[in-house]
Amino acid sequence: MPVPRVLCVAEKPAIAKAVAQHLSGGSFRTIAIQGNQYVKNYVFEFNFGAPWGYCSVTMTSVIGHLTSLDFERQYKAWLSCPPAALFEAPVLETVDHDKVAIAANIQEQAQGSKALFIWTDCDREGEHIGTEIRKQAKEGNPRILVKRARFSNTEKAHVLSAARALIELDDLQANAVAARIELDLRIGAAFTRLQTLQLKPLSAALKDTVISYGSCQFPTLGFVVDRYLRVKNFKPESFWGIKVMHSREDIKVNFLWKRVHLFDRAVVTVMLERCLKAKKAKVTKVNQKPTSKWRPLPLTTVDLQMMGSRFLRMDSQTIMKVAEGLYTKGFISYPRTETDQFDKAIDLKKLVEKQLPDGNWGQYARNLLDGAFRTPRAGRHNDQAHPPIHPICWVAPTALTADEKKVYEFVVRRFLACCSEDAKGQTSEVEIQYGDEFFHAKGLLVLERNYLDVYVYDKWESSQQLPNFQMGELFEPTEAKIFDGKTSPPNYLTEPELIGLMDANGIGTDATMAEHIAKIKERQYVAVHSRGSGRNATKELIPTRLGIALVEGYDNVFAGMPDSPSLSKPFLRKEMELRMREICAGSRTRHQVVQEGLDMYREVFVHTQRRINMLKEACRKYLNESAA
Amino acid sequence: MTTPQSQISTHLQTNKSLHVSPTWLHSFITSSTTLQRNTPLSALTQTALFRILASDFRDSLTTSTPSSLLPADIFDPTVQERRLPGPVAVQVLDIEDIGTSLWSQVEAIERVARGEAIRGREIVRTVNVGEEGEDGGVARGPDTAAGGTSPGPHRLILQDAAGTRAVGVEVRRVSGVALNRMAIGAKMVLRNVTVARGMVLLTPECVTLLGGKIEALDQAWREARKAKLLARITAGPNGQNGQ
Repeated sequence: MPVPRVLCVAEKPAIAKAVAQHLSGGSFRTIAIQGNQYVKNYVFEFNFGAPWGYCSVTMTSVIGHLTSLDFERQYKAWLSCPPAALFEAPVLETVDHDKVAIAANIQEQAQGSKALFIWTDCDREGEHIGTEIRKQAKEGNPRILVKRARFSNTEKAHVLSAARALIELDDLQANAVAARIELDLRIGAAFTRLQTLQLKPLSAALKDTVISYGSCQFPTLGFVVDRYLRVKNFKPESFWGIKVMHSREDIKVNFLWKRVHLFDRAVVTVMLERCLKAKKAKVTKVNQKPTSKWRPLPLTTVDLQMMGSRFLRMDSQTIMKVAEGLYTKGFISYPRTETDQFDKAIDLKKLVEKQLPDGNWGQYARNLLDGAFRTPRAGRHNDQAHPPIHPICWVAPTALTADEKKVYEFVVRRFLACCSEDAKGQTSEVEIQYGDEFFHAKGLLVLERNYLDVYVYDKWESSQQLPNFQMGELFEPTEAKIFDGKTSPPNYLTEPELIGLMDANGIGTDATMAEHIAKIKERQYVAVHSRGSGRNATKELIPTRLGIALVEGYDNVFAGMPDSPSLSKPFLRKEMELRMREICAGSRTRHQVVQEGLDMYREVFVHTQRRINMLKEACRKYLNESAA
Repeated sequence: MTTPQSQISTHLQTNKSLHVSPTWLHSFITSSTTLQRNTPLSALTQTALFRILASDFRDSLTTSTPSSLLPADIFDPTVQERRLPGPVAVQVLDIEDIGTSLWSQVEAIERVARGEAIRGREIVRTVNVGEEGEDGGVARGPDTAAGGTSPGPHRLILQDAAGTRAVGVEVRRVSGVALNRMAIGAKMVLRNVTVARGMVLLTPECVTLLGGKIEALDQAWREARKAKLLARITAGPNGQNGQ
């Protein structure tokens, strides 16, 4: 009996190669395909176990999505139809021009293959790309059987076990992506055409630009503008407080007011007078208790982007690119994950062991294996697809670029920190009542640094130690006086803060947030400025005049309409994101969600058209000002 | 034989420390008995109390008992400390949160106007889509927008039956005293309260909240609040003790 043929298709060429390498044990033939220089076919033999058994394998890949959705030709030109028509205009899915050769390769390889095994990344997009691959394969061979491999990193043992435990493609997830693609296309195109056509004539500055709209982009821009206006509109105010100091055992103890500060000087003055009139303060609480600083949770994508842009001085998009490179090379696990708990089945000690050769943290890893190892804390998120981001193997620093080194080091240190003991310390706290007012002082003594030794990004230092105070003791404080200060404006939004806001408000997925941020920079709706200099510089996001004009314009369009929140707000998009999840859960169909989404945005669109003057006015206000 | 009028008066004085004005009570009795001749006395008393809480104390209470009034020189800042045994019934003319900056209060008001609240980093819509009428949104809005209740302390302007005003400061948390829970014209009774430099120091032991409001004042206060906050921000710290 001849050996059955099987076709395997990965999402990227590098994954195809890595998987081929593991399955073949290193001996495979590489065959170039016609019309694309990046995609290769790798041919080898592999035993997939029952029911497939020993197979002749062709492993190949796509490069991301094969197809895209677009309007039919007669609707493509800017002035071909009223923008509102794009909500209903027929659309069709076609293979991208530059992917035709790849699609042809899949069709050709599918002929004569008994089965297709899909090796795309295990997330929503990967599932959708899987259906695109399936479609091409079925064109070539309608009777081909289709399975998919579930894997989250390209480490050898993991890949081998994935190959022997194939599952079904998840059409629900693919449908959610399809719904998102259609909604994004129609809504994006309709609003982009409307606002570009209407706003372009207003200012010479807009002559050659497309003023694009995206249902994630705009709320993202909204957050930046919102903070910017809060900074700009801010009015400083004076406040007053009471400061109590007491000298004992040569230590000057500063007691902080429980009320922190108040915005009424007369009241604070009376309160201080009543403290002084009472003469003696009474110790109402003396506390000495062990405290700990918790080691971090296992690493998720959002956390990688937030922490990364804070500590590594890279923007979130760069971090994701670098992390994906590290994943493709097999150094770290899949970097798009919401999971912050390790599965019990993962042998964490073995992963720690891989880090032993390192010059910086090898010794620390050794200590973990010698008894300091602790099971990581478990967070509350699990996307049921991928483990938290962790290192797969050790890499010599010389094998990495500067950026790769930074991201890899962060992932490793974070992982080792997760497997460590919390830092331990002792806090002492003294509370006193002075007149009617309460004050307290706190001291911290760090006893064991533990995870802090490897996780250099967290800071936790001992503070001044408190002298002895007895419970119930009366004493006359050395000094009590009023201090004053002024409130200060918030800072401009930073990228980690923006990611936090997007995450909390359901704008984009962990996988796409960085792209949305990059998009509003690219569209010149926001610019990046540096505050401070050198190592302490903070990168801040500041909207451009156009960015402010768009947000203010849309906010005015929707002002006073309780049922229609502005497009600069996260609510509409969040709705859509929830619907996607419902498709994944099977409680709603793709068709329902698309129709409801279009109805929702169509109403918003009509309203925008009706009050387009508000948008124009805002643009005139900001853009013509800049010309002057 | 005791008249219903004197029975109501005694009841409100012993149980609520309210010295009701005979003229006000007389007109209350005459207006209600013509309508509901057979109302039991207890129900009539409840109605009277309800009306008093919604009234202006300057109309509904008598000024004939000096111990139930604030001293006329209560604001005198040269008096370091004095104690009012009371009980003194007063109504609230103004309430301010002095633990929160004016600007952040303005921002909170604007969020409510936009139908939003903040929960951690999440912006939450408080307007219920599809629900007609403004009441639903606006009534629920303020409480969530302020992030629950502010710890204060609050600074109140109090007024007695004779119209004498005093500043009250919540030196210890008095539950029920909060920007969105207390209406303008709300009534309270002060007992054994300390007055320092002209400020009435409010603590839970010496304040009994009776509730109520003066509708016209309350509405005007709410409408003008944002403008007033903004005006005070512009005026700066010197303009803030305007009374």
